[in-house]
Amino acid sequence: METNYETIVIGGGVVGSGIAYHLSERYKEGVLVLDKKYPMSGTSGSTQAWVWVHNKTPSWYAEFSMYSAELYPYLSKKIGDVEYKRTGGLSPFFNESDREKAQKLAESYRKIGIKIKVLSREEVLEKEPYMNPEVAGATYSSIDGNVNPFRLIDMYMRAAKRNGVRYSTYNKVTEIKKQDGKYSVVSDKGAFECKNLILAGGTWSREIGDMLGVKIPVNQLRGQILVSEPLKPFLNFTISGLRQANNGEVLMGYSMEEAGFNRATTLDVIQETANMAVQYVPGLRKAKIVRAFSGIRAMPEDGFPILGKVPGQENLYVAATHSGVTLSPLIGTLLTELIMDGETSIPIDRYSLSRFGESEFY
Amino acid sequence: MKTDVLIIGGGPAGLSTAIETASRGLDVTIVDEASKLGGQLNQQTQALRPLPSLYESMRGFELANKLIEQIKDYNVRQLLNHRVVGFYADGSAGITDEENVFPVNAKKIIVASGAAEKAVAFPKWTLPGIMTIGAAQTLINRDFVMPGREAVIVGSSDFAMETAIQLMDVGIRVKAIIEKQSGALAKEQEKVRELSRSGIPFYFNSFIKEARGNGQVEQIDVALPDDVITLNVDLVCMDGGRAPILDVLYQLGCSFGFQEELGGWIPQYNNRFQTDREDVFIAGNAAGISTHGPLLLTGMIAGISASEELQAISALEAHEIREALWKELELLEDKEMHSGRVKHLEKFANPVLKDQFIY
Repeated sequence: METNYETIVIGGGVVGSGIAYHLSERYKEGVLVLDKKYPMSGTSGSTQAWVWVHNKTPSWYAEFSMYSAELYPYLSKKIGDVEYKRTGGLSPFFNESDREKAQKLAESYRKIGIKIKVLSREEVLEKEPYMNPEVAGATYSSIDGNVNPFRLIDMYMRAAKRNGVRYSTYNKVTEIKKQDGKYSVVSDKGAFECKNLILAGGTWSREIGDMLGVKIPVNQLRGQILVSEPLKPFLNFTISGLRQANNGEVLMGYSMEEAGFNRATTLDVIQETANMAVQYVPGLRKAKIVRAFSGIRAMPEDGFPILGKVPGQENLYVAATHSGVTLSPLIGTLLTELIMDGETSIPIDRYSLSRFGESEFY
Repeated sequence: MKTDVLIIGGGPAGLSTAIETASRGLDVTIVDEASKLGGQLNQQTQALRPLPSLYESMRGFELANKLIEQIKDYNVRQLLNHRVVGFYADGSAGITDEENVFPVNAKKIIVASGAAEKAVAFPKWTLPGIMTIGAAQTLINRDFVMPGREAVIVGSSDFAMETAIQLMDVGIRVKAIIEKQSGALAKEQEKVRELSRSGIPFYFNSFIKEARGNGQVEQIDVALPDDVITLNVDLVCMDGGRAPILDVLYQLGCSFGFQEELGGWIPQYNNRFQTDREDVFIAGNAAGISTHGPLLLTGMIAGISASEELQAISALEAHEIREALWKELELLEDKEMHSGRVKHLEKFANPVLKDQFIY
């Protein structure tokens, strides 16, 4: 296998593969993606895969997410059907007192051009007849939706490979050295050299940063998800907490717990999730749960994406974020611009690693 | 609910492990999804041999009754029609009666979840009337229902031959035995000869190409080495072998290793039938597909070992009993299978899949 590359991406998940694909649109040779296991074996393969904008706060982060969601229809045209559905998103509330909070959120979003409606009980039930009739209302945004994460990453990989990107999988990076202005990435299957190095290790970002003496403050959060038997199509929207997939299965859950890299499921969370789902959609009480799975999600210390150049390090880039599915087309586009043109069409200074302070480097 | 030992599965291995633990004064709870203990034994009318020296040779359902009778001497809590559906964060098992889920906190868990039959797929294999040999046996012996009138058997293992004979005994016409290999696989060749003598053709190097039927199987095409023949049948019994049922062990996070002779991927365990989760033991077909005698012995070894850790038996006594049981296991178990088991034990210290939940 070729050992010299223009750019190496560490991590082939939705973020790393998104970057590799977008880079390959601009130059055809010289990109290598290294993955510890196989893309989709980690976070990207254990997600509900919402493309979710509304009720992200503050509004500038929602705006950033919106730009990415806007890219999805074009992405499908370029790489193939990823089962992207702009269903619209509903975030129900059950107390009248929450209406004021919802209205404030809608107001703050209006300023940046995201349309959020605060729906009455009747409007919610008209849109989603199987919703609990005791619902008080919901916030609604038409831009929300979901995607099939397996198709998404598979299509990214296929398109990237067609454009000349190489993948080396089941290949763990063990050491990174910088010499003569180049990076030498040592892996289980040998050493590779590159000019540009992109760290897209998701939950493992901290460990990969350590190899270069760069602190990337990303923690692990475990999310557990329940899957129902295939049911007749009856949910129209992506509801915060659950969605129905194309094959009829309902995916439920948005739990978050600190459990390191432990991917077990626990009945505590499973029962909590089931109760939440039944509160939202009482009919689910009769559905059979066929499996539960958990995924370890990457969560930067302050919750926001870490994107762009690593300060003080030449040709070293980082992309580590929660909500990788929502943000991947935008992150791929922006990192490509940054590497090829030296600047981005949307400012990303806010997301620089430098916000964690110089003292974070060692 | 609290218990010393939670046994998951009330088949032969689960019951023998219950006897070993409960007889030593431990508080034992046994959970099984069926309404009766005994597992698959309940519909097995064939004579089981060899069994451990404690038991004379008997039929499957007789062994079930004997084991159930034995645990009546002790205070074993029976959760029938109950299933383990997961584990709580504190390690308690979540058990459901299909209505509610409640936690059971056990000092030791012994998993004796058994095995499931594997099907043999071919076009239209989901038509009613096409079933596994175990399902056909259950219909005849447990439910007293004739599964069909005219049958073929796919496979030629001992169990397949036994089932063919049982089908004939209740008046079902067995039209053929279809085997992919070039000869009959059954170890008890006497049964093969018995079937041949009754005029049943054995088609070797053959397989079902396709089934047809309106609402149920009516016809099958059998691909012979140099011909395709069509048979009119309303019952196809297929033997795809068996695979250990391991869901609970995955949920418990036990490490796994591949051992062909024992049925493929199974949890790693040591000579105490203890997994790398020290509070979790394993017994029966879940620890490797075997025959009835060895299944009982593995249950006994797991039971003795759990009792030892709960100080219901001295280490010395446990060691001696375990040694004797292992010797008997070696005698009773098929040689190839047993050497697979020994190889499996050797890998315990270096599990292949230590981190299947961690990427």
